[in-house]
Amino acid sequence: MLYFEWKAYFPFGTGGDVVKNRLEEIRKQKGIRQEKLATDLEVSRQTIGSLENGRYNPSIILAFKIARYFGMSIEEIFIYEEDEGNETI
Amino acid sequence: MKQYKIMRYIIFAIIGFIILGTGLVLIKLLPDAEGILKTLPYICVGLGSGLLGGNLGTAIKNWFALKNPQIAKQVEIEEKDERNRSISDRAKAKAYDLMIYTYSSILLAFALMGVELYVVLTLVAVYLFIVSTNVYYLIKYHKEV
Repeated sequence: MLYFEWKAYFPFGTGGDVVKNRLEEIRKQKGIRQEKLATDLEVSRQTIGSLENGRYNPSIILAFKIARYFGMSIEEIFIYEEDEGNETI
Repeated sequence: MKQYKIMRYIIFAIIGFIILGTGLVLIKLLPDAEGILKTLPYICVGLGSGLLGGNLGTAIKNWFALKNPQIAKQVEIEEKDERNRSISDRAKAKAYDLMIYTYSSILLAFALMGVELYVVLTLVAVYLFIVSTNVYYLIKYHKEV
């Protein structure tokens, strides 16, 4: 029986490392509605909602699109928090 | 923006309707047929219904998209949305895993029930085909990605 490696194919929302974001805060500062942001970025409104709730991590392309949309760098919007138990090599 | 073709689907729907009609007429005309003529009308009905339904549905969908470009754009965004795609892929992967287990159980049950050997062997061949497709894409994607 073949073993299907989940994490290799869907590396989101499972590990100890967390990516937080300031998307909601920045969007509200700029006075943009979720619907408008979704239309401009050509994604669904649910995707914006999930990003803001931290339930979904975007692809690097979408992260770049979001950063470019707000005229900021990715690091200003997305914050990577390493799991304390994780050791970097 | 996507190109919405309507005529092509309408033509296929008409072909489907003709095949369906032929099938129904053959069922009525040849009630005591033997051999291939016995099954042909039913194949025609199945094929015709599939062609008619599928193509007519696509034609209507495309016609609606042409009349309402804003809704069409929204549908296109929903289809291409990366979160929707990952959800769909995850669901498919779950269903695949489940299918492998249920298929194996059915195979075992058929073997224990003493179903004819060619039936079991056909099911085994299909099972191996699916599993080898999985292995093929695993190797392919490992090379590509």
